[in-house]
Amino acid sequence: MDQSIRSWRKGGVVVAAASMALALGACASSSNNSGASATTSAGAPLVIGASISLTGDFADSGKAVQRGYQLWASQVNAKGGILGRKVTMKLVDDASSPTQVVSNYQNLINRDKVNLVFGPFSSLLTVPASQVAKRYGYSFLEPAGGGPKVFAQNLNNLFFVQPAPVVKSGDVFADWVLSLPAAQRPKTAAYTELDDPFASPIAENVRARFEAAGIKTVYKEIYPAETQDFSAIMAKVVSANPDVLVGGTQNEDAYAQVKTLVQLKFSPKFMFLSNGANSPLEFPSKAGTKNTPGIMSAGDWFPGSTAPGSADFTAAYIKANGGTADTIDNSSAEAYACGQVLEAVAAKTGKIDNATIISTLHQGSWPTLLGNLTWGPDGAPSGSFNLIQWQGGKLVPVFPDATAKAKPIYPKPSWGG
Amino acid sequence: MHALVQGVILGILTGGVYALMASGQTLIFGIMKVVNLAQGAMVIMAAYLAYGLFTRFGLDPFLAIPITTVIMFGLGVGVELLFLRPLRREDKSELSLLVTFAVALLIEGVLSVTWGTTYRSINASYANSSWTVGSYQITVVRFWAFVLSLVALGLLFWLLNRTRFGRAVRATVQNPESARLLGVEAQWVSALGFGLGAATAAAAGSVYGLLYPFYSGSHYDLISRLLSIVVLGGLGSVGGAVIAAVIVSTSSAIVAATISPAWSEMTFFVILILVLLIRPRGLFGSVNRGAI
Repeated sequence: MDQSIRSWRKGGVVVAAASMALALGACASSSNNSGASATTSAGAPLVIGASISLTGDFADSGKAVQRGYQLWASQVNAKGGILGRKVTMKLVDDASSPTQVVSNYQNLINRDKVNLVFGPFSSLLTVPASQVAKRYGYSFLEPAGGGPKVFAQNLNNLFFVQPAPVVKSGDVFADWVLSLPAAQRPKTAAYTELDDPFASPIAENVRARFEAAGIKTVYKEIYPAETQDFSAIMAKVVSANPDVLVGGTQNEDAYAQVKTLVQLKFSPKFMFLSNGANSPLEFPSKAGTKNTPGIMSAGDWFPGSTAPGSADFTAAYIKANGGTADTIDNSSAEAYACGQVLEAVAAKTGKIDNATIISTLHQGSWPTLLGNLTWGPDGAPSGSFNLIQWQGGKLVPVFPDATAKAKPIYPKPSWGG
Repeated sequence: MHALVQGVILGILTGGVYALMASGQTLIFGIMKVVNLAQGAMVIMAAYLAYGLFTRFGLDPFLAIPITTVIMFGLGVGVELLFLRPLRREDKSELSLLVTFAVALLIEGVLSVTWGTTYRSINASYANSSWTVGSYQITVVRFWAFVLSLVALGLLFWLLNRTRFGRAVRATVQNPESARLLGVEAQWVSALGFGLGAATAAAAGSVYGLLYPFYSGSHYDLISRLLSIVVLGGLGSVGGAVIAAVIVSTSSAIVAATISPAWSEMTFFVILILVLLIRPRGLFGSVNRGAI
């Protein structure tokens, strides 16, 4: 009894504290709004805050995003900034944690009073972060949250800076296959899909398109994330003898599928892997360069792209970080593109504030190094990825024709061993 | 049917590799009554060592085994002396779970800092090669891994059954008190036994790195499989671990080929539960833990 009263009292204290915090938050947000408009004057630095995963599960990708943001800031400052204002990036670590990311954006907006915010890495962190931004009327350009849950929130302040939602990244492969003359199209298809919201739905979208076009499904398997040994799955693929193999893959499962097929000496006429095969360095080193020719995947930015700003980005990236164009992580390019979108808004409207960004970006097409981007009301981009193929040890865009740099090779050459 | 036979062939070959990993685990338990939760991490560490030697010096992962074996043996002895020896209390078995888990986390942390958290795999020139026998494929790596496992297990059996050290180990397992009375240095048997168990991780690591992509966190998945093999075979029984490893990997291949690969990962644990219900001490575990 005593304890329940105490906990009730404790509850009361918590409620009181929470309401005070809310009131403070309201004060903070209103003062921030006035602060933001006050600093719009030319000359004051434009501070952009973002939470990034520098530690934890997403650390590698988080650091790639960090490189992209910082590179863009240094590039735009070298040109004199945005509307005469130098850009300062304020980046904080969220340790890949969905709770820390909320605190980080709260602090960036309320305590540090940043002018604008960019997104974190992964859909997992983008969902809670975008809600904080929405609450305070901040626009939310984000480079790495492309899952269905992000768009299901229906936030008008969110813009996913990639050509299409992740689950639609395989559609370009279906577009290309179905553009072939009927006699050259595959007749049978197998689908090997990782049980993951960023893998299986990609292959399922392709399967729906293929089945509607009369390409028969001869085998389909959704495998759990802990699958390590692909011998059994691939032995079944071999028995089904499909013309096309569509893998809804992430990373290591893509390498393992290729390796196992090589060992089983079965090479399908067409092979598409949604992810993993689009990694310029990892894929050849893991699957063997000799086995890459003809394998297709989807991508937005690629080395040698002629999209707006790509050449500058590549040169500046290599200068700042060393390596070659092939070593650039796409997450860096996507983060960089967030900045390009901002520059484009400023150039078009002559203003750079959250309300202008939100109201402007829902119309028109916005050129970036990922191609031209357009957004629907929920922040989902309405474009398409590029179909890329391994040719001569390199990833080459082969479809659509507008961005293609080579003709697609098919049927796929047999394995190099 | 073709997929089934193909699956079974690869399943048996894979079983050999798991047998090698699990034999070290069960040996350590047999000698010291310590469940070594770091065995998986030691296998992954050995895989990284083989990877490092391969990428840095071009040393073949199979030829690297003598080097990594020495390193892992030293690590095992070190872990026993530093972390396990101080546990002298009655509840050593329980405490050792925490200690070896801490060692696993320590190894994982060191590997993450040294090599990052991206997946690695050892791509030797023959990594994707296979021989065609009839209409079936026998992968070169799995075949040699299987042979290597047989050789390593043979050495282990020889060591335990034909040498003075082996006799001391078996005596310690059967009755530590009497062994001590008869002049067996039980402390050194423990240290060397732990080292020996860790040393089996060296060969297993080379093979693991050739077969599968791995990263520092791969050991969690591995240790859960190893524990189920060891328990299935009977804690402390090396022969039991070998047979259990072949049983589970073959049956998971059969399930994958006939039902669905999605269920094959479950097979390990379904078999484990069934055996424990019928025979709680495992297939070859003796009631008084007297045999190896």
